[in-house]
Amino acid sequence: MARLHRVIPALVHTYIKSKTEYPGAMVLGWLSQFAAYGSMYTAISLILARFGSLGGWLWPEMALLLAFHLLAYSLGASLSFVQFREMEDKVRMGTVDAILVKPVSPWVFIVFSGLNIGYAGHILLAVGLMAWSLTQVDVAWTPQLALFFLGCLVSASMIVAATMTMIGATALVWVKSNHLYQIFFGFWELARYPLNIFPLPLQVLMLTFAPLAFLAFAPVAATLCKPVPLIGDFAPVAALVAGPFCALLAIAHWRYCLRNYQGAGG
Amino acid sequence: MRALSYPAFTATAFQSRLAYRNQVWSGVFGELVFMFARIAIWASVFGAVGSATVDGVSLPQMITYALLAGPVLYWDYSRLLRDLGTAVKSGDVSVYLLKPLQYPAYLLANHVGNFLFELLTVIVPVAVIVALAVGLVPPASLFHGLAFLGYWTLSFAMLFLLTAILGLAAFWLMTTDSLDWFFNAIMTLLSGGLVPLWFFPGWLAAIAGHLPFAWVSYYPAAVYIGQLSVGQTLIYFGIGFVWAAILTLFLIWLWSRARDRLIVQGG
Repeated sequence: MARLHRVIPALVHTYIKSKTEYPGAMVLGWLSQFAAYGSMYTAISLILARFGSLGGWLWPEMALLLAFHLLAYSLGASLSFVQFREMEDKVRMGTVDAILVKPVSPWVFIVFSGLNIGYAGHILLAVGLMAWSLTQVDVAWTPQLALFFLGCLVSASMIVAATMTMIGATALVWVKSNHLYQIFFGFWELARYPLNIFPLPLQVLMLTFAPLAFLAFAPVAATLCKPVPLIGDFAPVAALVAGPFCALLAIAHWRYCLRNYQGAGG
Repeated sequence: MRALSYPAFTATAFQSRLAYRNQVWSGVFGELVFMFARIAIWASVFGAVGSATVDGVSLPQMITYALLAGPVLYWDYSRLLRDLGTAVKSGDVSVYLLKPLQYPAYLLANHVGNFLFELLTVIVPVAVIVALAVGLVPPASLFHGLAFLGYWTLSFAMLFLLTAILGLAAFWLMTTDSLDWFFNAIMTLLSGGLVPLWFFPGWLAAIAGHLPFAWVSYYPAAVYIGQLSVGQTLIYFGIGFVWAAILTLFLIWLWSRARDRLIVQGG
């Protein structure tokens, strides 16, 4: 544990150095992702410009929802997505074995040896959109509300990192698990819209087994004092608790998969 | 190589996809989620307006438009970009240059096979589920139905040409990753796949309606639901055909340049 404060910066430094070897490609990547999300949000803004609102949400409120969704996702995914998407290949090639014998936690090594700075474009867009939308929405900010908002952001990022970890860990047992990311991104796509526009079964699913309603909708709705279907006044607490709860589940799942890992290559 | 030999690449691409069957159900799930998100959005905004039609389009027509403009017409071009990028990066493209074939024609044959596989295993089941769950509308008329088939072919050709032109940039840039995102950005907004052009502000619709991206999703789906008159259908098909011809000539020219500057990085 005492070594972690030296190991983690060293792992991150090495990875960032390898990425900045090709600065042109890196900046082009940021710009292209910025453009892709910007284009999607422009398309959504066109719908709202034509129809006024979506599920009772006006454009500034939708912009805050989209920004929160992107920022929470980027923060969580930078710690997890690419790293755990590669677990399948690592298991198949047998390189997980090499990670398991390192004198550092395998999770720490996997996460920080691949800390993804490629999300800078996402974060830049999300922060810009959030800064604009926060000036447009009607919220009476207090220190408590600001802390709640930040806490929800951390909690939402934890949901992303925990889910990615669980999917990656599943490869230790199933060997193949990357198709589960497609399912995650299906719900992730839905999570950028107000939950109340979806039919009841989907609302239940997104508040329970696939809790991506807590990725953006529940925290932003609670901040804006908008109604949250099914859980109502419980939404603020649930938004704060969802992340840590998912993290606990991910820890248990990660440990279970490590215990049951038998290798698939080498 | 004789043109009749290329269907063999189509068949091989189709058969090779059969080996990864778990991608089918995750693909069906992904497209279903995409569709139900679109259905929820349009149902919500149409419900809020409180009118049976908006700009002459009903909700069932809008859902049909979303299915056609999305999963049916907007096929997975990323696979083509990825294949091209990998071939250039790994040096495999040099193997194709040694063979008696036209590489762009090989890519076309290969991705027709991939498209047919996805059409049969993913898109048709999704269309059936959507039809049973919420309902789809038939073509506006027999003419519009037949015209849609022509537009569908044009749409496939247009998306292939645009992607192949972009993919050939890998010969200069050595990567297609960023290009994929940039192209996605353009297509999301200008193809009409997410939001039909009749909901755009007038000036933006006028610009987007004359760029080739609109022939990928917007025009074919709009023709199917009858948003274009008979005359407009024929005129815009002609314009799209001219765009396809221009893009084909550009692809041929670009390929001749790319071949001459190939630098193999690996292999």
